[in-house]
Amino acid sequence: MSVNNRDPLVVGGVIGDVLERFTRSIDLRVTYGQREVTNGLDIRPSQIINKPRVEIGGEDLRNFYTLVMVDPDVPSPSNPHLREYLHWLVTDIPATTGTNFGNEIVSYESPRPTSGIHRLVLVLFRQLGRQTVYEPGWRPQFNTREFAALYNLSLPVAAVYFNCQRDNGCGGRRT
Amino acid sequence: MLSSAKHKINHSAFSVSSSSSSLPHSYSQAKNMTQVTMEEVWKDINLASLHQHRQLNIDHEPVLSNQNPNNSIFKDFLKKPLNQEPQPLPPSSSSSTLHRSLPPPPPETVLSLNPHSINTHFDESARFGCFGMKRGGQESDESRGDRRHKRMIKNRESAARSRARKQAYTNELELAISHLQKENARLKRQEEQLKMAEATQHQTKRKLQRSWTTPF
Repeated sequence: MSVNNRDPLVVGGVIGDVLERFTRSIDLRVTYGQREVTNGLDIRPSQIINKPRVEIGGEDLRNFYTLVMVDPDVPSPSNPHLREYLHWLVTDIPATTGTNFGNEIVSYESPRPTSGIHRLVLVLFRQLGRQTVYEPGWRPQFNTREFAALYNLSLPVAAVYFNCQRDNGCGGRRT
Repeated sequence: MLSSAKHKINHSAFSVSSSSSSLPHSYSQAKNMTQVTMEEVWKDINLASLHQHRQLNIDHEPVLSNQNPNNSIFKDFLKKPLNQEPQPLPPSSSSSTLHRSLPPPPPETVLSLNPHSINTHFDESARFGCFGMKRGGQESDESRGDRRHKRMIKNRESAARSRARKQAYTNELELAISHLQKENARLKRQEEQLKMAEATQHQTKRKLQRSWTTPF
């Protein structure tokens, strides 16, 4: 199913800020504890301290996938000059399995937004084959599009995003 | 002498804004931090020329010095309000422009005499006001309007993001509902079919029929 204009990914600005339009072709299930992530869900940092369980679809175990988790609203959605922040990077995930079977290039760092309501986006790419992906070196100012181009990942096959704001208060007035 | 000086300050403060009490406090607090430099400057300032100065905020200076040429009395006057004053400006984002005009004048005055005294307890709005208000009335109007405009734009963007967030979640829910409804219908149909299949099987089982006979 291709992404139409009413798709939450478009309305939420993920398509545009982070990704290009794409057609979903692989199932992607992200679960934090008991809570399954659906687009636009509000989750607090205390609930996402540990990495989620990620299960992907597909049919052929010979196909490998890469999962990227980024925050495009750093340090704050009104002033995202550090867009995007790389929270997690797992490669070589075989189809029908999950991130536990992949290669964690960049370890999961639990999001802790200080200001505003941030979007956290998880994107799944299909790899051409088993490939070496080099860790970026730093987490801020990551660019998912460029990363995908660099490793010939082409368009995403699945994506989901949720919202996250700090546990207590609003973080004070923005300067 | 002291009381009349105070009265004069309050009077001129009142003409600036409604909250007159905070003006001398914040002003004096800022003053206190630059006391050493200020005293030196006071000696040099030509009071007569200051009197002719039209700027409202700078009017406070000649008033003070006229009444208290002696620095010690001036110091005492300053110390008194300082005890009561923890923070001159409550951090309120919804303050009117009139209120905004109040905190900036004191730091502005201090600014003109000693640029190092910007670091005060004033909140972000006052500090921000300092930058655009070095000269006085006209520029402060512009920067005030500018700031308001920027704020409005930021607020609009934030509101738009909020609406998008809400809409995205709603769309997701609608998609989920439609998906679940279809699956529900499908499963119900499946159940029906299974039931029917079971029923016909049951019927056939009731009649014991010979299906196979041995040849002998």
